[in-house]
This record gives sequence, C-alpha cells and structure tokens, in this order.
Amino acid sequence: MEIKKRISEIPTTIQNFAKRSVNLFPPIAKDCTYRILMNKVAWVIIVILLLPCILGLVIYYETEDSRQVQNNDGEKIYYNNDGNLIHEEKREDFVDQSDLIVISFVAIIMAILFSSELINEEYENKTMQLLRTTPIHSFEILLYRYIAGVLCMFGILGIYSIIFYLTTMMGSGQHGIIENLDVLLLILKVLLLESIAFMGIFCVFTIYFNRPFLIGIAYWIIWESIVSGQNYQKLTVTHYLNSILFDSTKEMSWDVVASDYNLVNSKNDIIATEPLTAVLIIVIIAIITLILGTRGLSNRQF
Amino acid sequence: MSIRLEQVTKNYGSVQGISNISLEMESGITGILGPNGAGKSTTMKIILGLSRPSRGIVRVNGNDPFTDWKLKRKFGFVPEYDCFYEHMSGLDYVSYFLRMHDVGEEKAEKMARKALSELGLGDAMERRIDTYSRGMRQKTKVARATVFDPDILIMDEPFQGADPTTRGLLMKKLTEWADKGKTILISSHILHDVQSLTDNIMLINNGKMLAYGDRHEIRKLMDNIPRPISIVPLRKGNLRNLAKRFLDEKWTKATIIDEENNELTVETDQSEEVYKKLPIILQNEKISVEKIYSEDDSLDSLYTKLVEGAQWK
Repeated sequence: MEIKKRISEIPTTIQNFAKRSVNLFPPIAKDCTYRILMNKVAWVIIVILLLPCILGLVIYYETEDSRQVQNNDGEKIYYNNDGNLIHEEKREDFVDQSDLIVISFVAIIMAILFSSELINEEYENKTMQLLRTTPIHSFEILLYRYIAGVLCMFGILGIYSIIFYLTTMMGSGQHGIIENLDVLLLILKVLLLESIAFMGIFCVFTIYFNRPFLIGIAYWIIWESIVSGQNYQKLTVTHYLNSILFDSTKEMSWDVVASDYNLVNSKNDIIATEPLTAVLIIVIIAIITLILGTRGLSNRQF
Repeated sequence: MSIRLEQVTKNYGSVQGISNISLEMESGITGILGPNGAGKSTTMKIILGLSRPSRGIVRVNGNDPFTDWKLKRKFGFVPEYDCFYEHMSGLDYVSYFLRMHDVGEEKAEKMARKALSELGLGDAMERRIDTYSRGMRQKTKVARATVFDPDILIMDEPFQGADPTTRGLLMKKLTEWADKGKTILISSHILHDVQSLTDNIMLINNGKMLAYGDRHEIRKLMDNIPRPISIVPLRKGNLRNLAKRFLDEKWTKATIIDEENNELTVETDQSEEVYKKLPIILQNEKISVEKIYSEDDSLDSLYTKLVEGAQWK
C-alpha cells in the first residue's frame, strides 16, 4: 500500500519539483557562478589554458608565408610544403592536445576545484547549516549546485576549446575551420560528458570526505590515470570518454587504432565501449552520484 | 507549535554533548542558560534537525525535524556564528534565503527590504556584507531568520555584538513576536536580557539539564539553600536588636549587618515563613522600613547557585 501510494505521488512530486525550481535554481545558479568566477585558482587555470592558444598564434604567424594555396571555386585550400592538407594535420593536433591538456588534466582539476568551491566552502562558511534549516530538500541543494557547476565547467572549457580550435586551425584558413567543425563538436561533446560525470563524482567526495581536494587528486591519479589504462578500465570514466573519442575519430575515417586511446587489455584485445552505451553509463554515473550525494547531505550532522 | 524532547542524549564520539534532556515548549519565550560548552547549541541544533540525537526522541509538532525537511519552513534560526555569503549585499542575502522558501523574486526582494528596514538597515542593505559591522551582521541574521514569519524562532546568542540600541530593538521585536504566539528559544550569556524577556528558563551545564520552568518555581526547589532577604530600615541605629530578634526564630540561619548601608540581611531556608512573620516582627520592634528585597530572586543568583553545583531538593 505504502509503495503504491508513493508511486501515485510521483507525478505530483515531479510537478512540485519543477514549480519550485523556478524560484530555487536562479539564485543558486547566480551565486554559484559568481563564486566560481571569483575563484582565483580558476583564473590561474584559465590563464594556463590560454598559453597553448598563444602558442597556436605564434606558430600561425611563423608558418603563414610557407603555406601553399589552391583555389577551389573561390575557396582557398592550404597545403604544407609536403603537399599535405594543413587542416587534416591541424585537426589531429587539436584533438590530441585537447585530449592531453583539457580532457585528461585540466577538466579533472577544474571539477575537483569547482565541487569544492560549491559544497565544501558552504560547509566551511556554515551556510550549509542554514540551508539545512530551510525547506529545501538535500537533493535540491545538491542538484542545483551540480547543474551550476556543470554549466560553469562546460562553459569555461567550451569557450576555451572554441578559442583553441580557432587558433589551431587558423593556418588552414576559413575552409579548414568550417570543414572540421565536427571535430570541435566532438571535443565539446566529450567535455560536456566529462563535466557531467566528474562534477558528480567530486561532489560526492566533497560531501563524504573532510579533505575532498586530496581525495580527488588521489582518485584522479590512481583511478582515472593508472587503472584507466589497465584491464579494469571499464570502471573508470576515462574509458568511456576515450571510447567516444575513438569511435568518433574512426567514424571520421581517421587513421586511429584502439591502442591510441588505451582501449586494449593486457592481451591486446579491443575493449572499447559502444558510444551510446558510454553516454548512457556516464549519465547513470551522474545519477548515482546525485543519489549518493543527497543521502550524504541528508545524513550529515552539524 | 510544540517542541518536545524526551530523554535526549547526544554524544560526539566519546564526548557527551547533552545527556537525558527532556522538555516541552509551547508558544512564548524560553531562555536557555548555561556556561560555554554546556550544551545549549547542541540542544538547539537537535531541535532544528541539524543534528540527530544519539538516544531519545525529538518532535516538533509531532514530527522528527531531522527527517522531515518540509517542517523546516516553520523554523527561523539565528546562529551564534557568522554564516554569510560575504560577497552578497544584505538585501541579496535575505532575498536568497527567502527564495529557498519558494518565494518569487520580486516578492522576496520586497519582503527582504521591509525586514531589513525594520531592523534599521535601510541605508546599508545594498552594501556588501563583508563591509558590515558586527551589529549590522547580527541584524542581518535576525532579518533573515524572521522575514518569512516563522512559527518557531531559535536564537543562539542573538544579542552578541549588538550595541545597546540594537539590543533594545531586538528585545522589542522578540516581545512582539512572542505576543503573536511564536515559540521562541533564546540563549544568552547576558542573564539580564533573558530575565527581562521571560521567566521561563532552562538551565543547562555539562550537557545536563539542571532546571527547567518558571524561575520562581525553580527557586522554590532550592529552599534548602539559604536565601537572603534584606531589610533596609528608614532610620539608622537599631539593626543589632533587630538581628537578635531574627536569630530567635528557628528559620533564621544567619544575619548579616551592613551598617554603612543601614541594611540587615537574614538568611533563611523558609522564606515564605519569613515573609509571613516579618510584618509582625517589624511592628513589635517599632521599625519602619524603606524596602525589603531578595537579591536571590535574580536570575544571576539562581544561575550561579545551580551552575556552580549547589544541590536542591
């Protein structure tokens, strides 16, 4: 009877939740965005991120004159001295460097930093205690911060990726930039999924552990860096992100093999996951982390 | 609104926060008194549902405040500590928490402006909180806790850092809210403040409740502790005779003569008997008095006696 009653209440609960979100989400999102953007470490990361863009500009001005141009119906197509299409080389540089700098490193640091700013800071400033004396469910407290965190993280990394894409592809001209937008979209998709997964995971660490930053770094190094290259890599988020990257680049007819993305086990068998399954698993990870985080917040005592 | 604690114990590991606290509160002001670390804040946090008791039952209007998050709409909480989003203005801060009560943007701003203005922050409400003085911060906390008209107000040291004007203003507001039927639990180190707000007190020390109820009633429980009753005659000179007369009575434990202030203090464990016999004695001794008073009625005295380990029946 109790279960039936609860099931029958689900539509009303969802309706109330949606109605409440109109009042609850905007002020939380505004505050969270402000705090993230005012975080000095976030700016240090942004400045570090801009360095490869500057490097891209320098390379462009140094190699600009050595390019060979072919006019194709008014469109300028650029080749290098070896006769290879510049945009084909540059797009691979873009994906490789995005994978190395942003996906495997900066995004994770950013997720640790932002989750700590959004939740741990509220514990330290004791505003979380006040929030727990207001009629807002722990799920709402966490969810809106999580969404704000994901949007900020994806926003910063997304804008950076666009700038990085433009500076990297500049040498291939307008044709190269437009021709390879699918590569930019692929990186944006991976960054969004990465934000969704890692913000959830690190929010949970922040809720359950007193030193979330250290735990987060340890998790990143031990789990996402070491285990993700081993037989049990399907237990890591990195595996699913790599699977999406691998499948998409293969779809674009790039010359890639599974081992380029560490998607092989010790017997050299390919263990890549289907992209749709990978997306689903990342979404499930996010949902599980939200449920765990809500439980942690509800049971937290002050 | 009713608050009920039944045999509530809270342990933090091996450290005991509070032990076997039982109380029932209805509307009106209740003062919670005790030295630092006595367990006042722990008791408040348990009532607010911020902490779960290790043993015992807590009910607010019949519900468990730790699990029933909807119950929180009835609570207004002024913590002892600062808990601000320092980058926000006072107005944004109060509005923010109103929004957490599912209030629309415009209405929240209007309500916040009114609450802050009433507490004298009309000119400063748009300034960032990190520029506020201690008194302004205290007022902002009170505004945030009361702006949505909660049924239960829990205030941990609300007068801390407040200047006399702010203190007077808060006292006036508290009396108004109590008159409206709110249930108010207030802790303070300034006993005089609590005394002027309420007679209903809870004394707590080392996590244990020493006494709970009307302070006059609590004093009666302590009748075996000698109680001083002071008599100030109109004219000087006859204090010694009067002291001798009192010492003839079995209920007199001791007498103290203060010739400089022309005052005789009788210590007794049967104060009601003293008050009954006093007019007859004074009449027989032909002494007119300026005043008769008992310091012991003050909350300070009661607090000191209980907290410092005195025993009572």
